[in-house]
Amino acid sequence: MSSDRVLLEVRNLTVDYVGDNSIARAVNGIDFDIREGEAFGLAGESGCGKSTVAFALARLTRLPGLVSGGSVRFQGEEVLSFEKARLKAYRWREVSFVFQSAMNALNPVIPVSEQIMDVIETHNPELGEKGARARAVEMFELVGIPPQRLDDFPHQFSGGMRQRICIAIALALNPRLIIMDEPTTALDVVVQRDIIEQIVELKSRLGFSVLFITHDLGLMIEFCDRIGVMYSGELVEVAPASSILTNPQHPYTRALGSSFPPLSGPRQRLEGIAGSPPDLRALPQGCRFSPRCPHAMALCAQTAPELRFYPEHESEAACHLLN
Amino acid sequence: MIFLARRIAFYIGAFFLAVTFNFFIPRLMPGDPSARIIASFQGRLNESQVEAIRKSYGLTGSLWEQYITYVGSILRLDFGISTVQFPEPTASLLFYGATWTLVLVGLAIFFAFIIGSFMGIHAAWHRGGFFDSFFTPINVMLNAFTPAIVALLLFYAFSLQLQWFPLGRAHSTSISPALSFEFIGNVLYHATLPVLSIFLVSFGGWHLGMRNVMINLLNEDFVILAKAKGLSDRRVRYRYVARNAILPQITALALSIGFLLGGALVTEQVFNYPGLGKFTFTAIGSRDYSFIQGQLLLLTASVLVANLLSDIANVILDPRLRT
Amino acid sequence: MSELTQTPALSQPLRAESAAYGFHPPSQAELMAELGLKSRPGWTSRLPSGLAAFVTNGKGMVGVIILLALILTALFAPLLTSYDPNRRAGKPHVQPGYEHVMGTTRMGKDVFTQLVYGGRVSLAVGMGAGLAAAMIGLALGISAGYFGGRTDDVITFFVNVVLVLPGLPLIIVIATMVETAGPMVIGLVLALTGWGWAARTIRTQTLALRAREFVLAAELMGEKKWRIILIEIFPNMLSFVMGGLVLGTIAAILAEAALEFIGLGDPNAVTWGTMLYWGQKNLALQSGAWWEIWPPCIAIMLTGAALVLINFAVDEITNPQLKASRKIGRIRRFLSRRGRSADVF
Repeated sequence: MSSDRVLLEVRNLTVDYVGDNSIARAVNGIDFDIREGEAFGLAGESGCGKSTVAFALARLTRLPGLVSGGSVRFQGEEVLSFEKARLKAYRWREVSFVFQSAMNALNPVIPVSEQIMDVIETHNPELGEKGARARAVEMFELVGIPPQRLDDFPHQFSGGMRQRICIAIALALNPRLIIMDEPTTALDVVVQRDIIEQIVELKSRLGFSVLFITHDLGLMIEFCDRIGVMYSGELVEVAPASSILTNPQHPYTRALGSSFPPLSGPRQRLEGIAGSPPDLRALPQGCRFSPRCPHAMALCAQTAPELRFYPEHESEAACHLLN
Repeated sequence: MIFLARRIAFYIGAFFLAVTFNFFIPRLMPGDPSARIIASFQGRLNESQVEAIRKSYGLTGSLWEQYITYVGSILRLDFGISTVQFPEPTASLLFYGATWTLVLVGLAIFFAFIIGSFMGIHAAWHRGGFFDSFFTPINVMLNAFTPAIVALLLFYAFSLQLQWFPLGRAHSTSISPALSFEFIGNVLYHATLPVLSIFLVSFGGWHLGMRNVMINLLNEDFVILAKAKGLSDRRVRYRYVARNAILPQITALALSIGFLLGGALVTEQVFNYPGLGKFTFTAIGSRDYSFIQGQLLLLTASVLVANLLSDIANVILDPRLRT
Repeated sequence: MSELTQTPALSQPLRAESAAYGFHPPSQAELMAELGLKSRPGWTSRLPSGLAAFVTNGKGMVGVIILLALILTALFAPLLTSYDPNRRAGKPHVQPGYEHVMGTTRMGKDVFTQLVYGGRVSLAVGMGAGLAAAMIGLALGISAGYFGGRTDDVITFFVNVVLVLPGLPLIIVIATMVETAGPMVIGLVLALTGWGWAARTIRTQTLALRAREFVLAAELMGEKKWRIILIEIFPNMLSFVMGGLVLGTIAAILAEAALEFIGLGDPNAVTWGTMLYWGQKNLALQSGAWWEIWPPCIAIMLTGAALVLINFAVDEITNPQLKASRKIGRIRRFLSRRGRSADVF
């Protein structure tokens, strides 16, 4: 489904949170690509910086966040340098966003029709109000919401329906990339399944790429082509979804996988990961995972390992054990 | 609609609480108002005359009978007879004064709310900028300078020293009230400084309130989504942020009316303006209880009506309250 | 894909200039220096973090210093002046000069002496009423929010009544009924009518806290209710109590001045409000004796300004959104220096 052409290139991306008397480095120089038509997943514990990456890619870093370095290239263009007019086109025409909580993602006091039509009218003024409405109806049908409810207010819809509306809004301009930041976490399991199946179906039909973020590793493995595992603001492994559980390279990936119950086969004891991630304001010098790593060596505490490609496993990992 | 019904029930309850308070306060104090009148005749009254005076104050019969009589007279807008401007009914004095107070407070609130809110929107949108860091604290400090002082300052500078504005009255005695440009202009000329002083001590509150609510909203998902959609700044600012921020402001506006009416009281005193405050001042001097109690009820009623209006506005502006 | 295998060491300075990799991130220490952040001063390390943030907040400290100066002059009034505030000290309406720093009133009383002695009463009444109102608001707000149900209904009803009843007119009724309303009476009435906002905010906050894990956990472990309120809930309310206290004090000081100004106070008490009352009554402005009016005005304004600054600081420290907005300028400059678009929000 995914081609080899790179859509979005992230290099050395660094995001800091500016505190009163300190800087917390939430994302520390990460590199990855999202290819055309690909579903790329970012996994990791909460607080590992995966959402921060998502917001930075869409140029939506909020105060006190600051993209303090690196590069994000969309089809070769530097996103971090986009000025107003270019940014406006980038936002939504090329990249759209689905938020975690559909509860808060819609403006509570204006009808949903306005919230989907305004984006269509802003970017396609030639359509006019009629054309925008027709497109909105089309999108509602696409995600399975009766179009006669177009003029209702957000509070009149259920959580699942609201998330569908958000997806309709995200698809309205046929973007190349949709960033989904935990799109189903706030929903119950049945609705969650429905929505994911719908996204998969739409993706194969419309051919957009997806950056998918969730802490539900099972869901991610099912949905994504490749998965990046983040720990404490760094990518520790990027691998095909199929090998994350079966052939993990990094000890952290292995730990993450073993804290996740297998869908088939004999039940195993779940292993938690002892300890907690380091303080982002005062990071250890070497590998950030070394204090919690069962296989840590002397070298690990001194030098940070780099993300390297290991062709024999088709995956990239940052760990001294592999060298 | 249930919402409005509940609010109306509450306002009726609150009004009766104020009426009851007014009823009991003089009866709990040593020496009721009639005692003072009776004493002022230094024993020259016979039994039936004393009884007549007590009756005119509604002090005969059982407490419950007195209460019923009192509530009945309030509902008929009968606030008793003024002792200062004997035998003028208190009600007509109250309504005459209230008209002028309404002119002052109405104009001041109108300008303060509009100008303050727009300043708040501007400050929030460019938060941390020059306007925000400089004018926000200054405007709020103005808010903490009591109306008495601001009124004195303005009176001293513009009425006494520069003599740009009159020393008192609501309109020149040479012009008789009529619906003419000349009369209205004259009224506005006399109202300028009093309105300005109420304006100066109140717009900072709207500025700060709007700014803080807006800044908190800027972090809401639906605002980030609006931004991500590439909508124009204007649209995000007004249709998404300010549109939501105005709701708590309207509630606060209604609650602040009581405070502003209190401020008007003092301002009228400084500018010798014939509003409710000026009459109240005279009434305090001569212990005209019927007037002092009447002004409390009238002002309470105005605040309650203002609150009802704000509830209605909220129902119109917030679809969540309509169901 | 092959690009990634050659990812060079991140620290090569060349990478900063190379267009291929965007701009090179500064280290955390470099970034702190560029944004003008200082690490927490050592002497504040023993303070709780909220207090440490307060003592390093410029606005807040200016407010505290002004307020302290006013309180100290009031406390040490007898050392600062040799006149008696209630007695004639010279000729009427003497201009400010060596003998009388701020001149004398129409009654020949020394204005400076009245000002510093008046500050004792005005500040004490204002702060006392503000404190009492904040405490009533705290007690009722926590009870309503924590116990819920009928308790909440009843308390909320009274909170709404207090919010809706116009304060000053109500106080006027009470004050006229009690004949002469001394500063104590005025303070008491202000405390009893001024707790609405505090109660409302604290109730909302308690409701939010109630649903949090640590409170639920304490409940499950069978902790006594008053202990949960005291140990789990109260500490989280401190900033709101602080805000309520500051705002309540402002309101009380202003209301006291207003009441006395319109002649409802005890005209023989020496307070900033009665000074204004006499000044206005004696037509001080009209007769050119501005010094009888302006000193109490300025004192009240300074108190108000100081409290507003303190409230600003409390807001900035407790509201993360407001705190973040203070750094926006520096973040914009950081980005534009590197040729990046500075569209942050």
